[in-house]
Amino acid sequence: MPTLRVDGVRVTVPAGATVLAAARAAGAEIPTLCHHEGLEPWGGCRLCLVEISKPGWTGEGKIVTSCNYPAEDGLVVRTSGERVVATRRVVVDLLLARCPGTPLVQRLAREHGIEEASYEVNPEPTDCVLCGLCTRACDRMGVSAIASVSRGASRAIAPPFNQPPPDCIGCLACAEVCPTGHIAWSEADGRRTIWGRVFEMQRCEGCGRPHLTAAQAGWARARGAAEQDLRLCDACKREQLARTLRAVSRGETVAAQAAAS
Amino acid sequence: MTLACPELTRLEPILARYPAREESLIQVLQDVQRAYRYLPCHVLEQVAARLHVPLARVFSVATFYKAFALTPQGETTIQVCTGTACHIRGAERLIDELRDRLGAGPGETTADRRFTIRTVNCVGACAMAPVLIVGDRYRGNAKPAAIGDYLSEGGGGHAH
Repeated sequence: MPTLRVDGVRVTVPAGATVLAAARAAGAEIPTLCHHEGLEPWGGCRLCLVEISKPGWTGEGKIVTSCNYPAEDGLVVRTSGERVVATRRVVVDLLLARCPGTPLVQRLAREHGIEEASYEVNPEPTDCVLCGLCTRACDRMGVSAIASVSRGASRAIAPPFNQPPPDCIGCLACAEVCPTGHIAWSEADGRRTIWGRVFEMQRCEGCGRPHLTAAQAGWARARGAAEQDLRLCDACKREQLARTLRAVSRGETVAAQAAAS
Repeated sequence: MTLACPELTRLEPILARYPAREESLIQVLQDVQRAYRYLPCHVLEQVAARLHVPLARVFSVATFYKAFALTPQGETTIQVCTGTACHIRGAERLIDELRDRLGAGPGETTADRRFTIRTVNCVGACAMAPVLIVGDRYRGNAKPAAIGDYLSEGGGGHAH
């Protein structure tokens, strides 16, 4: 269990923890865009920069991304020193030039004292901050329907050939994790549209609301999901669980409750 | 996807050379680029399926590297160096001359698919500026008036 010092606060974290986790445990506020508890650290957005040094190091500390730097025993971390703030400011400034109209980026800019971007503003403003959360979530789902395309200034997140993605199952994981709401989707008349593809929805057997796409159900079935797990929407599943618990607490048997419902 | 597409026959020997896994992707794409002079969509779909790589990742790699093209390239690539020395010594006039003769500019391919024209930032032969490369053949002190000769003498291969 490494013990480190974050902005003067001693903090002990489990082995394998990151500097970001340690810093947050110590109460430091570090902005992040590409970080997600459910996904591997990525180090893509460069907002979580901190300055580290170790006893015995001479000279200036090192600026590192805290989200993927392992917390080591004896590490001294500064999360808000002048150098860290100045470096992070450049990152925010560049983001603002790329996404001048994005509320989340505007808020970050305000928090960093930036009124307008000091770089040439993107002639084609976008809400995509290229945090890679969507593609990583899609990979994590095991679908990999979208990916980073091209490079440099023209880099973007897109399906293959910029066509409706054949591998997509319409699960909305990408839209769910997108921090800026850039990934558009819509749902109407039992159909869901995302990435230019239209998916037929399957209705919840409890409340009748469309709750997952047929493609999603097929995908889950092919991976061994039980049919009963696909029948009900999350709300109905919770309700069913609540009913079961209530029955149990009254001393009724679960089987009797199931027979009654 | 293997239906009426004789073009796919060229893919088989390429796939046979490498183990069917993700690590082979770039080598396979390089060979496809050489064989077809670009990466056709249906070939990429087949590559994805056979190497067990998501199509989105194949497209991602195909669009990342400059060595790959998604549109058909000419038989011979003409590269015009536009590095500082070549720029000073008239690279722009070479480009103008090529455009006049072939009707295609940088990044474009002639209608007959014989030539693709590209600019490069520096080929490290500044003493010979301006430099024009036809296929694999380097032409130093290139002159707009001699471009007809360069083209007719050919490049003796492909530049990739």
